[in-house]
Amino acid sequence: MLKKGLILIILIAFAAIFLSLISSFNGNTELSDLGSYYAKNAPSEVGAANLVTAVVVTYRGLDTLGEVVILFLAAAIIGLLLKLSKDEKDENSRMENVRATSEILQTATKILVPVIFLFGAYIFINGHLTPGGGFQGGAVIASGLVLLFMANPNMKINHRLISFIESISGLSFVFIGILGILLAGGFLDNKIFELGTFGKLLSAGAIPLIYIFIGLKVGSELSSIVGTLNETQKEK
Amino acid sequence: MVSPIHIITISLGIAFALGIFGNLPKKISAIIMLIAIGAITFISAQWAYALYFGNAETTQIFTAGFKPPYSINLQMGIYEAFFSLLINIIGLLGGIYLFNTLVKQGKNAIIVFLILIMGLNVIVLTQDIFNLFVFLEVQSIATAGLIVLHKNKDSISSGFKYMLATGIIAGLLLIGIIFSYYFTGSLNIADIINANIGLSKGGAVAVFLILIAIVLELKPFPANGWAIDVYQSVKPGFAAIISAGSASAAFFVLYKILPIVPENFYNVISALGIITFIGSNLIGIKQTNTNRLLGYSSIGQMGLLITILGLSPYLGDKLTFIAFAILISHYLAKAGLFWLSGIVKQQNIKNWSNLRKKPVLMVLFGTFIFTLLGFPPFPSFFGKWELIMQLSASGQFIWMALILVGSFIEGIYLFRWFSNSLKSENSKLPEIKISLNKFIPPVIFGVATYGFGYFAGTFVEAAGAINYIPLLFIAFIALIDFLPAWTKNTISIAGVIAYIFYLYPSVEGDLLRQIFLGIFLGGAVITLFSGYYYKGKRLGFYPMALAMFAGLAMLITATNLFEILYGWELMTIGSYFLLIRGKKSLPHGYSYMMFSLGGSYTMMFGFALAFAGFGNLDLQALSGITVYPTLAYSLILIGFMTKTASFGLHIWLPGAHGEAVADIHFMASAILLKAGVFGIILVLLGMGAEAIYAKNILFVLGWIGAISALIGNVAASFQESAKRLLAWSSIGQLGYIVFGLAMMSHLGWTAGLFYTITHFLYKGVLFLIIGGIALKLGTPLMYKMGGLIKKMPFSFIAVLIAIITLAGVPPLVGFAGKWLFYNAIISEGFYFQGVVVLFSGIVAFLYLFRLIHTIFLGQLKDEHRNVKEISVWLLIPVYLLLFAIMIISAKPEFILKPLGNYLISYFPTGALTWNETMVSTALGHWDGYWIMMIVGVMFVILLAWLIITNAKAQKVKQFNMVYAAERPFRPETTHMAHNMFAGYNKALGFLIAPYVTNFWNWISNFVYDTAGFVRRIYSGNGQTYVLHIVAYIMVIYFIIF
Amino acid sequence: MDYFNIEYISIVTGFLLILLGLFAILTQKNIIKIVIGFSLFDTGIHIVMVSIGYIRNRTAPILDETVNIKDAANQIVDPVPQALVLTAIIIGLGVTALMLAYVLKLHKEKKSLEIQNFSDLKW
Repeated sequence: MLKKGLILIILIAFAAIFLSLISSFNGNTELSDLGSYYAKNAPSEVGAANLVTAVVVTYRGLDTLGEVVILFLAAAIIGLLLKLSKDEKDENSRMENVRATSEILQTATKILVPVIFLFGAYIFINGHLTPGGGFQGGAVIASGLVLLFMANPNMKINHRLISFIESISGLSFVFIGILGILLAGGFLDNKIFELGTFGKLLSAGAIPLIYIFIGLKVGSELSSIVGTLNETQKEK
Repeated sequence: MVSPIHIITISLGIAFALGIFGNLPKKISAIIMLIAIGAITFISAQWAYALYFGNAETTQIFTAGFKPPYSINLQMGIYEAFFSLLINIIGLLGGIYLFNTLVKQGKNAIIVFLILIMGLNVIVLTQDIFNLFVFLEVQSIATAGLIVLHKNKDSISSGFKYMLATGIIAGLLLIGIIFSYYFTGSLNIADIINANIGLSKGGAVAVFLILIAIVLELKPFPANGWAIDVYQSVKPGFAAIISAGSASAAFFVLYKILPIVPENFYNVISALGIITFIGSNLIGIKQTNTNRLLGYSSIGQMGLLITILGLSPYLGDKLTFIAFAILISHYLAKAGLFWLSGIVKQQNIKNWSNLRKKPVLMVLFGTFIFTLLGFPPFPSFFGKWELIMQLSASGQFIWMALILVGSFIEGIYLFRWFSNSLKSENSKLPEIKISLNKFIPPVIFGVATYGFGYFAGTFVEAAGAINYIPLLFIAFIALIDFLPAWTKNTISIAGVIAYIFYLYPSVEGDLLRQIFLGIFLGGAVITLFSGYYYKGKRLGFYPMALAMFAGLAMLITATNLFEILYGWELMTIGSYFLLIRGKKSLPHGYSYMMFSLGGSYTMMFGFALAFAGFGNLDLQALSGITVYPTLAYSLILIGFMTKTASFGLHIWLPGAHGEAVADIHFMASAILLKAGVFGIILVLLGMGAEAIYAKNILFVLGWIGAISALIGNVAASFQESAKRLLAWSSIGQLGYIVFGLAMMSHLGWTAGLFYTITHFLYKGVLFLIIGGIALKLGTPLMYKMGGLIKKMPFSFIAVLIAIITLAGVPPLVGFAGKWLFYNAIISEGFYFQGVVVLFSGIVAFLYLFRLIHTIFLGQLKDEHRNVKEISVWLLIPVYLLLFAIMIISAKPEFILKPLGNYLISYFPTGALTWNETMVSTALGHWDGYWIMMIVGVMFVILLAWLIITNAKAQKVKQFNMVYAAERPFRPETTHMAHNMFAGYNKALGFLIAPYVTNFWNWISNFVYDTAGFVRRIYSGNGQTYVLHIVAYIMVIYFIIF
Repeated sequence: MDYFNIEYISIVTGFLLILLGLFAILTQKNIIKIVIGFSLFDTGIHIVMVSIGYIRNRTAPILDETVNIKDAANQIVDPVPQALVLTAIIIGLGVTALMLAYVLKLHKEKKSLEIQNFSDLKW
């Protein structure tokens, strides 16, 4: 209890830092220089209607590459960390078929999962036009997979296939980035294709393509993480 | 040239490709990874080379084809290239080192490793603060992944703590970043610097959060428990990468964002750094786990680097050099030590002694330890020197002191570890197995420390005159160390003689330096000559002996303060390795090193104060120091007195010298101690005797000399070991010399310098003979000897002459010394000290009598019935020395006259006046030649008479007697030599009670206990560590704002 | 200044969440709860980030029919913090997932989730 009180006191003192930040925060009335530059020039320079996408994929493309790498790392490390020894695998397989899930869940899953996958794909393909993008779409796809796991707890995912999709989309991302150096202004420049008509599906240069790869990659990475976690922790 | 962006594309491309071809054999994957790292190493090497030689300019790489701040830009300048190269090299060599582990863990581990190296590169290159955050996260997640390369419960729990802590640090960084964006409207670091947001309160808090997060990435004490657990639990090969690679990158980030920080934060940064440096090293003292120890040391070094950055306003254009020199030393040495730790595979620092069986590894171990401690010829020495000098020039004395204290504390545990590995028992430890891939990386880094040492030397102006020829010669001798001793001995003697001829012109006309050249290098020839007695290889002896002599020679030829310290340190290293060769010398060698290390730091501090006042480093800087003169002169004198083993700083000597073998004992006592005398002479010549502070210092110095003389002689009388007896006697003799010099008069200096020479001669004789006897009999204990006169007549005569000289009785030259001494004391009016010195002179008879009586006279021991005379190789130099004693006994004017002429320019009054062979002072006169003649004639007459009268005496055989029917319980107690002066001991013993030893023990216990207390903050609980971080930030916030 | 504006309310909420998260990290004994605390801490930061870019009475930075492209700079909120927060969320996700994997592994080692049981390394 004494310790909790001490922690509370420290945190209250710590809050002073935040308080001074809040007190110097006055809200905004205008866009920052950076924001207004993007608002004015992104349509012509990048061609994406969704400015956030323009910033995420092109202007700050290196950040995005970084986050893709982080997910990739997370998936790889979780694979490394939770790699099962042979005995554990045997033990897990012996404990299979504990209890089947309800029929409602199973049937609903069959109907919903294709829709969810489709929705995910829709989100990342339209990432440059509407709210959403590769990460969001990928997350939606992975959520479909979670549903599948809930319906069939013993389902095995094909790690090799997932790893293949993950890597090939990552490699393609890097490759498009290099094409940017060769064909356009720099690494990850999207102008390797025509920018196209503003606001149309096939516009904004390489952004849709990049987002497709990101979507696939994020989808497969999150699936792989969920899959690995699922395999490791069987209910006993 | 290849664009730096390909550092990213190559690494990521290969990483993803390895994912696609997941079925590749693991070995092939690992090789591909190494090739990728090799390629990016090539890119950064190419840039580093081009930028260094001016073939390229700092280049910006704009991603996405837009200019910053609208897009993220990378920068490749000279610093970026250099850091990226450092990271890639550790990645490449570390990858080679970890090859088997990576292969065993498979594809995922290989990918994570590659991405870690890439992430560190981007951290260095990026100029966008949010991008920096992203790749810091890449780095910390990859690190968290590689922690589990070592799969055990410790690494997993430490990985969790690490993730928790870095997650919170990253969160706070993010808050700082977003608010700095709010205030500046940009994420580009250059824009943020220009916006100067530190001026407003909110902006300053944002900057504070960014700064503190980056500082926390450098693991400051005490908010670093999470990091230390990682160092302890991971594979040493990976710890090398964290310590050398990640820490260097984090340091560079701090350097990069430093311009954002308002000036008034700088002192806080230095304070955080120095707290880390001292605190972390302090806790390291108590540590016995190798990797955790190295973790503390790593963090300590980072603390020093943080301090340097914080002090950058005071360092001017030297900042870059200082930071690089210290960083590169840390980088090479720490990676090397972690690698060695992975080879040795012993968790406890006490179990490293099996490393001795692998000489190459042992040499590397020593190299890395000395690099960390900032000894020449390693780069950190130059860095630390410049750091201290610049700080002193800016008047930052407190910082200087703190940095030196921290360095000293680091020395305590690094040396304990090292000396343990050199000396402790290793028969029970398993053999060390080395595979080639683990052997190559540390070897490369070991060689690089020497290369960078030379390179760093070229940047230090004062180091321009350093003569590298002796060092090359030493390196050559080290390379032919596999040859038998006599070959190396011959080559070494030839080298030293050649060097004497080479040096002689530079000291011509300077009597003082001629004398010391004679003692140092002439002594070198004599001792090396006696080294022929040794049969076998004597591994490691010659390089170290020569290093000591090279350091001594450098002292003589030094033209500035830097060279003095350089020579001093070189000599310290060499002598340490000689002294530690003795059988039981582990604790004594260690305490010798501690005193030497402390001494060289105090000396450096004093030199820096001299530099601050004088403006350059010429030897003239020692005359009339203006900045804190009392402190400066005292510190420098203390530094030199660690080698003369004056009272208070003497406790290392009896043990260290007492355990050394014959010729090393000679080197250490008769030659090495004189280096301190030379130093004291330089200081006193500069200081003069006029100023008030000089008078005070001289008064204290005089008493130190007198007390050393007394304590040394009294303690010598009560020793059982002949070698310890001589060691204590050296303390006493050096006390005379210091006392003589402290008088600051013509006579005092004549006496002091005359003693310096004669002590060299007669002590040389005694060390060689006694050492030879101890070697022959296998023990230095006098009660185990006796009656050796008939077995070793040549030794007996030599010792007889030497002790007559030492005792200072006519006719030999010792009397001349004493006569001068008493004259000086009386004419100066130093009556109190004079009484002490006089008394100690009388005490000297006690131990001299014991020495000759118990060894050569009395009954021969049964087991010595077959001993022979000591090695002729020892006797030849002894008789050369005796010859010299005879010459100057008969003709003291050979030395005294030029000495007088020389000293008259410093002390014009009170000189000796000569009349033929008769010398007189204001108080009396003395004629060495005639005394010698008269005493000689008397001696011959007496001897002849004894021989004639004893011709008819009956010879009594040794066993011509009857024992009573009693067997003594401890036979040695019946030997008259055992506890010989028990009565005197009762009367005088209080004088030599180990007060000083107790004092130093108390200090060291105090430090140990403090360390033990402080380290309890590391409770091991991840939550506590987070609390440390939060509290740390909170406290610093309230200090700044 | 009116402190009951949406940006103030959200930024204060964000900071409170951060503190709440820290409190959970510092006081909870169960490591899963600690990870949840971390998640809260992260979410708080994300809320603070988007609040920073908010401008009253403006729309999302997507240039569809509702926004006049020529005058976009005066009609939309700042896209930069939103882009940053997207990145930050993904990173947070990666970190949290990894932490949970660690938790699984820790539980397997000691069959316990109490944080004080994992303090073998110390001093």
